Amino acid sequence: MDVIAKHDRMKDVAHTLRIAGISRPADVTFSFEGTSLSAPEGENLAAALIACGIRRLGEGQDAARPRVALCMMGVCQQCLLRVDGRLAQACITPIRAGMVVTAA
Amino acid sequence: MMHDIAVLGGGPAGMAAATEAARRGARVVLLEESAAPGGQVYRAPPTGFVVPADADSRVGDALRAALRQSGAEIRPGCRVWGVGGGPLVPQGMAAAPFRLDALAPDGQSFAVEARALVLCTGTHERIIAFPGWTLPGVLGLAAATILLKAHGVLPGRRVVVAGAGPLLYAVAAKLLKAGAEVAAVVDLAHSREWVRALPALAARPDLLARGVAWRAKLLARGIRVMAGAQVSAAAGGEVLERARVGDTWIDCDALCVGHGLVPATEATRAFRAAHRYAAAEGGWVPVLDADQRCSVPFLYAAGDGAGVRGAAAAPASGRLAALAALHDLGMLPDHAAARAAPARDLARAARAGGAMARMMALRPELVQAIPPETVVCRCEGVTRAEIDAACADGAGDMNQMKQFTRCGMGPCQGRLCGETAAELVAMHCGGRERAGFATGRLPLRPVAMDALLGDFDYADIPVPNAAPI
Ligand SMILES: Cc1cc2nc3c(=O)[nH]c(=O)nc-3n(C[C@H](O)[C@@H](O)[C@H](O)COP(=O)(O)OP(=O)(O)OC[C@H]3O[C@@H](n4cnc5c(N)ncnc54)[C@H](O)[C@@H]3O)c2cc1C
Ligand code: FES
Repeated sequence: MDVIAKHDRMKDVAHTLRIAGISRPADVTFSFEGTSLSAPEGENLAAALIACGIRRLGEGQDAARPRVALCMMGVCQQCLLRVDGRLAQACITPIRAGMVVTAA
Repeated sequence: MMHDIAVLGGGPAGMAAATEAARRGARVVLLEESAAPGGQVYRAPPTGFVVPADADSRVGDALRAALRQSGAEIRPGCRVWGVGGGPLVPQGMAAAPFRLDALAPDGQSFAVEARALVLCTGTHERIIAFPGWTLPGVLGLAAATILLKAHGVLPGRRVVVAGAGPLLYAVAAKLLKAGAEVAAVVDLAHSREWVRALPALAARPDLLARGVAWRAKLLARGIRVMAGAQVSAAAGGEVLERARVGDTWIDCDALCVGHGLVPATEATRAFRAAHRYAAAEGGWVPVLDADQRCSVPFLYAAGDGAGVRGAAAAPASGRLAALAALHDLGMLPDHAAARAAPARDLARAARAGGAMARMMALRPELVQAIPPETVVCRCEGVTRAEIDAACADGAGDMNQMKQFTRCGMGPCQGRLCGETAAELVAMHCGGRERAGFATGRLPLRPVAMDALLGDFDYADIPVPNAAPI
């Protein structure tokens, strides 16, 4: 199933999820499940996906337990996905230009 | 190079410990997995981000600056996965110093050795399972502080904030300030618990004033604050749409929920230090003397990882641990004089921190209320009914329950489900002491196998010929 499509409802408001008053580096583009997205360079990947309206990060082994960012500190392992083919935790991965992110 | 003291963890406790020891002339190395020291409460924003300063960030910046000036070797971005030496040297072999194995930011594995080791590994969040807690949009309450403060991103537009302790009001206030709607604050504590905590909180008038200000702000904005209440279920399609409190369903697109903090004792367990169960301090904690010494010689623990006492107490306990290590290494002649100030600071801060920790202690009624079909172990998909069945079939402690059900065997190594599972086992076997904890195993933190093995492929691993039977 297309993970992005499920989040169209969130996407409308997504641009407002980044808190104002913080100075951030310029945006770079990266892709998630084949869709091109942009986020400030160096932003945390889990935070960037949330800000892009994507909170379901993959179906995992069982759609009843999808991949999500839960602890934001690298311990729960629920946010696993693939970054340029390698298994990674979204919550401790910074955004780099051209990064290819897929569900794990 | 042999260090005098290695410090594991760069939160307020670890930063203060390393600073104290290095200032007094010890060769100190500090290992921290984040890109910069700071820990959970003073987490530095990502490189290139400038977040407006507030009370917390100023304290964090001051601790970081003192650490930089102390002369301690700081190794951020290094995840420690293995421990060795010290008490782990097999009997009959020559004594060896403590050893920490870590992965550097470039993926290279390296080790540091030290004569004394101070563990400042902090806590992780306790989230007791409830129906719907696996829906995207549900995230931890402490996790929300990181998302909001370090990354500057809102978890949703209309948020329910639920659970226990001061982080509830901190998160709700931050959400409001950043322009989100707070649909409700659902506090497990009854108002009388807060009233009971007041005398202890008075030891920290600054924090008390901040808490009162948060509460006033919520009330002024007409936010629904529900005391003595809990979120009993979350529901939605692909993502969270509503949360249930009592008979009411509250529409929301995010639920920040946390039921307290659990000391991270992986390292003290791996070193086979003595532990005790102290619900009011967050759970299993290492047995310590008044100077943060563990039962293992030259091993110390400080900060919330040694028992939850809060961010204000963490630096004081870190300094006490560093001073004890220096003294035990023969590097500090006037220990009694040196320890007086941090001991006093710790006593004061621990009074307020302890009151907060008691409020965040595990509430068994939350575990009792979990319906049988609810998934407890998210990694392996183990339900409450399966854990209950294993206990009924004779699993008498955590290790046996784990063997029976696979609960806690997934990549989180039980950090997410462990508290719920242990409480379920305890209900059957007669208490948390009996239920025990799953044996401390390496790696301390999950690391990719290829990182440990280096660049070679599976096919390159030498397979010895099978021995004749
Ligand atoms: C997610 C979270 C958010 C929190 N937010 C707040 C808040 O906003 N306000 C507040 O008052 N309190 C907060 N707390 C409570 C917290 O426990 C503070 O009281 C304080 O941060 C404790 O300091 P510490 O030094 O004991 O531990 P921590 O600050 O938790 O620091 C421990 C450090 O050790 C590092 N570490 C652990 N294991 C390893 C390893 N194997 N390898 C390398 N590094 C390792 C971690 O990365 C971390 O930086 C939070 C707790 C959590 C879990
Ligand atoms: S959100 Fe828990 S490990 Fe990433």
